[in-house]
Amino acid sequence: MATAANTTRTIGLDEPIHLGRRIVALVPGLLLLAAVGYAGKFIEQSIAAYTKSHHIVFPNIEYVLWAIVLGLLIANTVGVPRIFQPGVATYEFWLKAGIVLLGSRFLLGDILHLGGISLLLVAVALTLSLTFMHILGRSFKLKPKLTSLLAVGSSICGVSAIIAAKPAIDADDEDASYAIAAILALGALSLFTFPLIGHSLHLSDKAYGLWAGLAVDNTAEATAAGALYSDAAGKVAVLAKTSRNALIGFVVLAYAIYWASRGQAQAIGNKAQFLWQKFPKFVLGFLLISLLATLSFFTKPQLTSLANLSRWAFLLTFAGVGLRTSFRELGKQGWRPFAVGAIGEVFIALVTLGLVYGADRFLHL
Amino acid sequence: MPEPTARRRGLSLDVYAVALALILALLVRLNVIPTVKW
Repeated sequence: MATAANTTRTIGLDEPIHLGRRIVALVPGLLLLAAVGYAGKFIEQSIAAYTKSHHIVFPNIEYVLWAIVLGLLIANTVGVPRIFQPGVATYEFWLKAGIVLLGSRFLLGDILHLGGISLLLVAVALTLSLTFMHILGRSFKLKPKLTSLLAVGSSICGVSAIIAAKPAIDADDEDASYAIAAILALGALSLFTFPLIGHSLHLSDKAYGLWAGLAVDNTAEATAAGALYSDAAGKVAVLAKTSRNALIGFVVLAYAIYWASRGQAQAIGNKAQFLWQKFPKFVLGFLLISLLATLSFFTKPQLTSLANLSRWAFLLTFAGVGLRTSFRELGKQGWRPFAVGAIGEVFIALVTLGLVYGADRFLHL
Repeated sequence: MPEPTARRRGLSLDVYAVALALILALLVRLNVIPTVKW
């Protein structure tokens, strides 16, 4: 008790110093995120200006790709020095702030329409993909809990879902890092494959955005995969992915109950509290900003400013996606979880593509 | 111990991100922040 009391007192006294130090520790990494992201934007603008002035027909390569590629180059050649790592790790914070601000570009009615369709498609894709992942995990002889983590990660929302599910089903640290590595590697691959497939199938912005939001696992990668196609597709991808994220608590709760019933995880006491704990709060912020925009709380120029603030936040996110992806680290995790994840991802991508085609035809996206 | 910490951090990350976004939106609404360009 004495130790605990001392610790509490120490934390209380040192808190401002610690907080100050922690904020200062973020500065180098934040500057790196800003530099890499801005370099991506600069390259896009320079190429566009050069090709325009020289009358060269050249497809516009979005800053998103440049920022990610620059980040990947740094992370996989010189590496990210330790001093930059705390700041680089904030990329998810900027992603969430960017998503909330993006709410200003949606009227609540659009959210209800597209979000409703997304939820319907997510429910169908979820059932199919969870079943498929479990069959696959069994045939590759993966540990059942690793299979559960991979299934949650690939069908719901990547790394956050795995982190949320890990304590709930009492999974090993090793299993969680395997599953996270597989999901991250596959997310990086989808950045390069999804836009190519979308263009070759001539998908509309809405259909492609919906597909990227439903099939790409991690929120940062889904946002990037959408933005790589077009601005409008990026918007829809964020909305679809946000609807998917909203379901995280329900799926994790179902898994927790399943493993508890087998005596391999602690039983869940208050289920409503559990759901609230796991619910991604940024979804509420996104809905609130959208409600304010729908009620004309902002003028048109103010809405443009909010949309641009969201783009700046995403710029930091995309730089972070590249900077935190180390192929060497991913390679260390072994091929089996990766193979299960990869086959599962292809399955999910095909199922969701079929669903999006159907929705485009019958539900009029 | 690591799990509650991670959970707390996960929660606060979301809450801080929402708080920052709402503060920025309010500052834009009150014209405290000049027009943000891209």
